[in-house]
Amino acid sequence: MKIQYSYLKNFLNTKLSQKKLSDAFTKVGFECDIEGDLIEFDITPNRGDVLSLKGLEREFCAYQSTKPLQKLQTASLQPIKDKKIINQIDSTGCGNYHLMLIQGLGKIKNLDSKKRNFIESAGIPLINPLVDLGNYVMLEIGAPMHVFDLSKLALPISVQFPKAKNTSVKVIGGDDKDVKSSSLTIQDQSGIQAIAGIIGSEASSVSLKTTNIAVEAAFFRPEIIVNQARKYALATDASHRFERGVDPEIQQLALERYLFLLNQIADYDSVALYYSYSRKTKNKNVKLDVERFNKFSGLALKATKGITILKNLGFKVIARSKNIVTFSIPSYRFDISLEEDLYEELLRSYGYDNIPISKPKSGPIIKNRQDNVLDNLRLGFVHSGFKELMHMPFVSRESFQQLNSKEWTAAELQNPINENEPFLRGSLFRSIFAAVNNNLKKGYTSIKVFEAGNVFRKEKIGFTQFMHLSGVIYHHEPQQTWSQKELAYDFFSLKAEISKLLQTLGFQNFEFQKATPLMPFNENALDIFIGKHKIAVIGEIDLSVTEKLIRKQTYGFEIYPEKISTVPANLKILKTSKFPLSTRDINIVIDKSVSFKEVDSLISQEIIRHLISFNLINTFEGKDIPKGSVSMTLRVVFQSKTKSLSESNINDSMQKILKLLEKKLNAKIRS
Amino acid sequence: MQIPQDLIETAALKLKSVQSEAEFFQLRAQYLGKKSFVVSAFSKLRDLESDEKANVAKELNILKNNLAKLFEASIEHIQSKSDHKKLDVSLPADPFLVGSEHPITKISQKIINYFTPLNYQIFSGNEIETDFYNFEALNFPENHPARQMHDTFYLNSNSKSEYLLRTHTSNTQVHAMLNEDLPLYMLSPGRVFRCDSDTTHLPMFTQIEGLVVDEEVTFGDLKGVLIDFLEDFFNEKMEVRFRPSYFPFTEPSAEVDIKFGKQGWLEILGCGMVHPNVLNGCNIDTKKFRGFAFGMGVERLAMLYYGVTDIREFYSSNLDFLNQFPS
Repeated sequence: MKIQYSYLKNFLNTKLSQKKLSDAFTKVGFECDIEGDLIEFDITPNRGDVLSLKGLEREFCAYQSTKPLQKLQTASLQPIKDKKIINQIDSTGCGNYHLMLIQGLGKIKNLDSKKRNFIESAGIPLINPLVDLGNYVMLEIGAPMHVFDLSKLALPISVQFPKAKNTSVKVIGGDDKDVKSSSLTIQDQSGIQAIAGIIGSEASSVSLKTTNIAVEAAFFRPEIIVNQARKYALATDASHRFERGVDPEIQQLALERYLFLLNQIADYDSVALYYSYSRKTKNKNVKLDVERFNKFSGLALKATKGITILKNLGFKVIARSKNIVTFSIPSYRFDISLEEDLYEELLRSYGYDNIPISKPKSGPIIKNRQDNVLDNLRLGFVHSGFKELMHMPFVSRESFQQLNSKEWTAAELQNPINENEPFLRGSLFRSIFAAVNNNLKKGYTSIKVFEAGNVFRKEKIGFTQFMHLSGVIYHHEPQQTWSQKELAYDFFSLKAEISKLLQTLGFQNFEFQKATPLMPFNENALDIFIGKHKIAVIGEIDLSVTEKLIRKQTYGFEIYPEKISTVPANLKILKTSKFPLSTRDINIVIDKSVSFKEVDSLISQEIIRHLISFNLINTFEGKDIPKGSVSMTLRVVFQSKTKSLSESNINDSMQKILKLLEKKLNAKIRS
Repeated sequence: MQIPQDLIETAALKLKSVQSEAEFFQLRAQYLGKKSFVVSAFSKLRDLESDEKANVAKELNILKNNLAKLFEASIEHIQSKSDHKKLDVSLPADPFLVGSEHPITKISQKIINYFTPLNYQIFSGNEIETDFYNFEALNFPENHPARQMHDTFYLNSNSKSEYLLRTHTSNTQVHAMLNEDLPLYMLSPGRVFRCDSDTTHLPMFTQIEGLVVDEEVTFGDLKGVLIDFLEDFFNEKMEVRFRPSYFPFTEPSAEVDIKFGKQGWLEILGCGMVHPNVLNGCNIDTKKFRGFAFGMGVERLAMLYYGVTDIREFYSSNLDFLNQFPS
């Protein structure tokens, strides 16, 4: 809400500068911005009662600990109940309905320039003095009003929800709106003349020729008005106030004020005020326990001080026994219904900044605090030279289908920001590919990046989110270093990088297995398992699913941190041997169809005395090796805990390995 | 004949400064070679009287042996010292890539690091959430205007419950209050979504919210921990202002501003005492327990901390931008 400072200053009868006045309001909860001569108030949705000069005045006086200054001058009218004017009002939507009928208007002057400026600077356009006056009174005391051309109404009026379906009305401005059955309407004998609290019909609107008017002031219940304006794409100053709550006790006052001001700009023949109440809203009572408040706030407030503060805000004491005081809540305070709501009023007036602070408290000791796998992985990649990226999770239909299997149903947004990207990602790779592409365009030649984030899947009921940590290595140095060193990165560099990382983080017991096909990897890929859980996939990226974002060999990984258990394996530290290691090499020629994995598991699974470790140190094909075969050199290491191994000890174990390889894998031993 | 007394000492001294094998042999020749004092002295022995000859010969022998021992002892040391190629060590290092965490991760971690020693537990929660946890349980009744403050992304679903992308991380607090034992000290970091995009707003951003439910917590406790946190974060004494505001799930609610250089007061986080409706909804006895909660936008803190002016940079994957953040 924008208010002219000069106008507000006069209204509040204060000498405070624009800055000081803004600070004062900000301090009590109404954040202000200064814009030229205007103060823009950021009124939170719970405080519709402050959306007027009167509302601001109440807060300002409470802040200054003074009583509201002035009573606005009004005309005085005796309201009449008459079914011929107001027939019936729907009690669920409307608390009261007031209609002031003014007939025989003469020449109408404009409002004075001060009022006109005030209205315009609040962002409300000037339309017609009769309408402008209604808007002025709304800004002044907070009651939205609507002015009908009385000669175009077929009385009586009723306030009700539309009974017929697809009822259409041409509203002010000329648009046709289909009135929803949930929208409260103002109807006369010919049909809908207004959507309650939002906008009137074009047909019953006033013009410069109008001589008879019906001025409406009503209390429409906030819960009925809320979200209605949005449905018609019509957010009006009136609807903004109604949905936040308009004081149900000021309708007559508002009309009397309207009449008082109308007297200054026009003559008329007659005026009469009609009304109808569906049920009167009872004032709420709320108890304040001052001792409990002090425990809550950390203050030592005396009951009398609390009473003074609340009285200044318009609350009335209706009962008191020592520290427990019952207050009657003013009709305009829709936000107050609990004791804690009163606490806020007290603290607000007392000043949040005046509440003493205490030292930070600790929670109870956390038992079984676990390492955060994701954080550890993230740091591991950072130390290996990877940059962490972050991206929005929205993807296009095409990208989603490229990177996810058919069984993976996408989570789809009803209202995406970009209609080409309605899906939530099922893989992190799309944005990573785009990131690589963007940086290649800038001239980067080696890129190691990763991202950690959730991916989403729609289920039969609800949705699932999975944490992924995915990344790629794009390594294409244009030339070697000055030292002529080879700097190539290949599948086995990736395998080493991931193995090192997992082992460093303490996951010793992982196992590589042939990968089940998964996008975006091609057949050069491996699954990594810990026990039964697949914790990662690593491999070469299938360039055909990168949407041409990447055109050269790239490696990648997708890790599932949630699948990695953080419970530390039961560590047993073994005594180390004092005796030296003995190393031997084994040369075998083996059919190429046998994978190293088979050699590896064969030796690992057999109990071989003194064997500590073994490693593949060379492979060779070509000269002296039969076609279809490959030569492998294994380096095996032996050690005993109790003695220096003799040649024969070692030979026994070597023989066992060789026989195993011959028998099970048909390997030929080369000497 | 005069035998110099300090021959061994000077030889030892010179040996110490020898850098290469060549220098070593040069020095050895000087002391033990044909033209050395020792060798030439031996050749002059014959000119001496026989009893003097015997004495001098004995002394010379001792000297020669000691010199020989001295050189022998240092040859190994010198050889290993000179067993390398001299490099131009100013040549560049092998190429390497420097990794770093994303600045949003770093700032999140910095925030979390303040609270973990205070035994706040970390819960990450669901990014896709039902209306109940994101709104209803947090005292946002249906059709309440406060819901309009949150531009919400909704999902197409087959289920009765309405699914959405969480608009704040407070949903995690509801799960924790329903499932965890009291007292509860928790932090919920994570991504949140608002259907809004311009130069100062992104449809996704990062929030960290804190919640404490305990006996005897006060508004003063809330102020205390937040002021201390802000001073820890910016590593200086801060001017902090608490002013009344409104969030449906706290009562009273406050915005916290800090005075930040020339920019004046800046809104930095929201907080308040947990609304009794929220506690009651989570079956918490409000006669015994009270709570406070606070929430902050990580991007905003990161922008202030690093002096980043365009929030979109964080999600641009621009290595030129990311390279500027230390790991």
